[in-house]
Amino acid sequence: MSSILNGIPYVFVAAPLFAFILNNAVPRERMRSHAVALSGGVAALQLAAAILGFALLAASGRGEVRFGLFWSVDAAGAAYLRVNLVSLFLLLCVGFVALASALTAAKTIDDHRCSFANLFMALLLGMNGMLLATDLFTLYVFLEITGTASFVLIAMYKSSKGLEGAFKYLTMSALATIMMLTGLALLFMHTGSLAFADLGAAALSGASGEMDILCYGALALLISGFAIKAGAAPFHSWLPDAHQSADTAVSILLSGIVIKIAGAYGFIVLVELFGDLYAVRLSVAALGVATIAFGALLALVQTHFKRIAAYSSVSQVGYILFGIAAGSPLGLVGALLHVFSHAAFKSTLFSGAAALHEQLGTLDIEQMGGLQKNMPVTGFASVTSFLSAAGVPPFAGFWSKLLILISLWQAGWIGLSAAALGLSILTGAYFLRLQKKVFFGPRNPRWDDVKEIGGTIRASQIVLSAVNLGAGLCFPLVLLYLQSIGLI
Amino acid sequence: MSMPTVVLIAGLVMILAGCVGLIRTHHMLKIIIGLEVAMKAVTVFIILGGFLNGRMALAQAFVVTVIVVEVVTAVVLSGIAISLYRKHGSMDIRNLRSLKG
Repeated sequence: MSSILNGIPYVFVAAPLFAFILNNAVPRERMRSHAVALSGGVAALQLAAAILGFALLAASGRGEVRFGLFWSVDAAGAAYLRVNLVSLFLLLCVGFVALASALTAAKTIDDHRCSFANLFMALLLGMNGMLLATDLFTLYVFLEITGTASFVLIAMYKSSKGLEGAFKYLTMSALATIMMLTGLALLFMHTGSLAFADLGAAALSGASGEMDILCYGALALLISGFAIKAGAAPFHSWLPDAHQSADTAVSILLSGIVIKIAGAYGFIVLVELFGDLYAVRLSVAALGVATIAFGALLALVQTHFKRIAAYSSVSQVGYILFGIAAGSPLGLVGALLHVFSHAAFKSTLFSGAAALHEQLGTLDIEQMGGLQKNMPVTGFASVTSFLSAAGVPPFAGFWSKLLILISLWQAGWIGLSAAALGLSILTGAYFLRLQKKVFFGPRNPRWDDVKEIGGTIRASQIVLSAVNLGAGLCFPLVLLYLQSIGLI
Repeated sequence: MSMPTVVLIAGLVMILAGCVGLIRTHHMLKIIIGLEVAMKAVTVFIILGGFLNGRMALAQAFVVTVIVVEVVTAVVLSGIAISLYRKHGSMDIRNLRSLKG
């Protein structure tokens, strides 16, 4: 068993690389029809490997599995990559969203399928690398790979909107890079190393117990940088533009997982390293409350389907930040489970957007209405994602939000807990508006002959709405399992 | 003035110059240049960090990696800027107003 466990981490690096090489080695005209299917296969492999790895690692009782790619990790002070339960869970989420995106891409991506598959694999590799990294600099390098792949994915079709969204995203992201690197340089100046093992609140305060003002500056810069990457308010302005203008399969990736790996995982690392400092946790929580409120209020007034979904992502990232800020194991579990449930319901919603765009040719919700009869599967899937987002039991979103609320309460932030509860009413409000305008009410006669979408998008909608509901129904079992392996 | 102070001041001036250049213009290429200047300032900080704690080899490895990453960012950014120029016929960022709400 142990040898299987030691082999599993290599899958997360080797599979995307192998697909990348195969994509470019085989002649394009032959690869064209299989490129997206190959990406979907890699995503499915990653999903299976992450589930297996999580179960084996939890059963083995080891904290983490260390590995190196072409070097030995046994020597003292050698650099290494690692997987632990947190990163395996996030790798599972990455595989899950990537699979949903590949199912949608099979239908929506017509031109440049090979280029799409290449960039998709680069994106996957970047996200996996971030989750395997054990020092802040490696984390930054993989963050840039993730970022660069997403910019090109948005701008790939050279539509005016895509280029504009990518330019805004890239400018904000370059600012985030400058902030993060300055923060890293200051930390490096102070501690002489950027490995997670050498960093921490104790390493910063040194012998005197007093922390340098430069260290506070470094932490503030790192938090701002990750906040830009996560799309947290007040740095959220690029996110709706980028996510609206991209192809829907790309939007699924960006909204479903990229903002959480590139942004929220950075916060997980920061709180893990510097969570002893109350100021760090408090600033993450403050970002969280602003993000939830801004995202939800702005989602209420939008008229573009994908823009509403993008603002909803902003708002839901706020809940993830709340869970991280609580700083307790329960809060972290809540945040991770919210990453999963948000990935599930946001992928469902964007698959719905893909279906509507394919069948209607527009995503302006003012022109829609009464589509429930024409598109029953899309309508039903959209309802499950709405109920999960609004936190209605027994859907998956209810449980993860509940855990986050409890962890905030335990951390002594009763006001924030109440705010999180109150603001989730807004989530219900904007999704109810979306449902009413798109699927309920009188039908616009223009859409009388519209048919339900078929093929892979329908399959992915059915599977994803089953996950929304099924994960919620099985949630008590998941909690019992997590308790049995000693996580909460 | 000692060497590290000079380098620190140079880095701060560069980062400030980059940010001012970024804010004061509507021209896409000038924005890219501003970002690049500010990013170059960061490599100065990393070198300074390596010099102060005696880990110059690690700092050099970081700086070379940062330069590579930066070039990739600059290439993608200028590629997008050129495509936008072909669409709008100008480099003015005030043209980028089709996504709103």
